[in-house]
Amino acid sequence: MAKVKMSRKMTSIDMTAMCDVAFLLLTFFILTTQFKKPDVEQIKPPSSISEKLLPDASLMTINATPDGKFYFQPVENASERIALLDKMGQKYGITFDNNQKAAFQKVQAIGVPMNQLKGYLDMPADEQKNYKSPTGIPMDSTNKQLIDWVKESLSVNPDYKLAIKGDVTTQYPKVKSLFEGLRDIDFLKFWLITSQEGKPNE
Amino acid sequence: MAEVQVQEKGGKGGKVRSKKQNTRVDMTPMVDLGFLLITFFMFTTTFSKPNVMDLGLPAKPKDETKKPPPTEIKLSNSISILLGKNNRVFWHQQDATSLNDQTLMETTLDREGIRKVIQQAKSRAADQTKFTVIIKPTDDAIYKNFVDILDEMAITKSEQYGVTDIKPWEKAIYEKKVGGAAAPAATK
Repeated sequence: MAKVKMSRKMTSIDMTAMCDVAFLLLTFFILTTQFKKPDVEQIKPPSSISEKLLPDASLMTINATPDGKFYFQPVENASERIALLDKMGQKYGITFDNNQKAAFQKVQAIGVPMNQLKGYLDMPADEQKNYKSPTGIPMDSTNKQLIDWVKESLSVNPDYKLAIKGDVTTQYPKVKSLFEGLRDIDFLKFWLITSQEGKPNE
Repeated sequence: MAEVQVQEKGGKGGKVRSKKQNTRVDMTPMVDLGFLLITFFMFTTTFSKPNVMDLGLPAKPKDETKKPPPTEIKLSNSISILLGKNNRVFWHQQDATSLNDQTLMETTLDREGIRKVIQQAKSRAADQTKFTVIIKPTDDAIYKNFVDILDEMAITKSEQYGVTDIKPWEKAIYEKKVGGAAAPAATK
C-alpha cells in the first residue's frame, strides 16, 4: 500500500515551471517573427548551393519578374523612405502631398514609372496590393529609373544593401542591363536571392 | 466569528484536503500547446529567410586612358562557357581563328556535364592557379542558367571567373549550331 501511494505522488510533476519557460519562449518567438508580406507577382528564385542566409541589414530589393518587369522595394525605415521619395520627386520634378507620402511609407514594392507614381500612391491600399503594373520600372539605355531609385536610396543612406530576386525564367539580357546600370553608378556588391538546394556530395 | 472558526477547526481534516486537490491544475496540455506553438514559430522564423549568393561586379573604368591593358589569358589556361537558349550550354578553348563547329562543344548543366568539363579543363591547365573561366551568356539565356553557372564556379572552386559578352565570332558559330540543331526539329 505504501509503495502504491509513493508512485502516485511521483506521477504528478509540477508543470508550472515548465509551462512558464514554454510560454516565455513562445512570446519571444511570436514577437520576433516577421511574416513575409505577399509579393505582387509570383517570383520563383533559382536554386543554388549557397547556404548563406539573407542578412538583416537595411535592404532594398529589386524583383525581376518572368516577363522582365522590374519592381523596386525600398528599405523598411519610414523616415528614410520619405527622404527617398523627396529626392526622387526632385529629380523628376514631381511633388507629393502628405497622403501620397503616407502611402509610400506603407507600400510594398513599386512597379510603376515615375510619371505614374502619383496615381499609384493615390489608389486605396487593397487596390495597390493587387495592381500589376503593365510596364514595371523602366530600365533601358535611355531611361534608367530603376538605377535612379537605387542611386537615390544610397544617397539617403550609403549603408544600404541590395538584393536582386530574379525569376528562373527571367531573360538574361534584362538582368544584364540591370548589372550594367549598377556598374555605371559604381555599386558593385550585392546579393542574388536564391532558394536552397542540397550541397552536392563528391 | 468565533463560531466560524470553530466550524473550520472541526472540519479541518476533510476540507483542507479537498481544497489542496483543487489548487493543483494539470498543466500538461497547456505545456503541450506551448511547445507546439514554439516549434511552429521557430521553424517559420528560420525558413522565411531566403538564401543569397554574393556577386561582385568589376568596376567600370571611368575613362578610357586609365583602362588597364586588356589581360590576355592563355587559351589553355581558360575555358569559355556559352549559355544558350533552352538551357543549352556550350564550351570551347579556342580563339577566333580556330573556333568552328567541331571545336565548340555542347554539354549539359549538371554534374556529369559542365562540372566534369570544368574540372578536366582545370586539370589540363598549364598553370592551375591562373585557370580562368569565362562565362558568356547569350541573349537567349535565362537568369537560372546564369545562377547555375555561378553555382558551378562555387562547386568547382574556380575562383577566377569573369562574365562578359559573347564575341561576334563566337556568336556566329553558336547561332550556326543552335540554328542547325533547331531547324530539323522544326520541320519534323
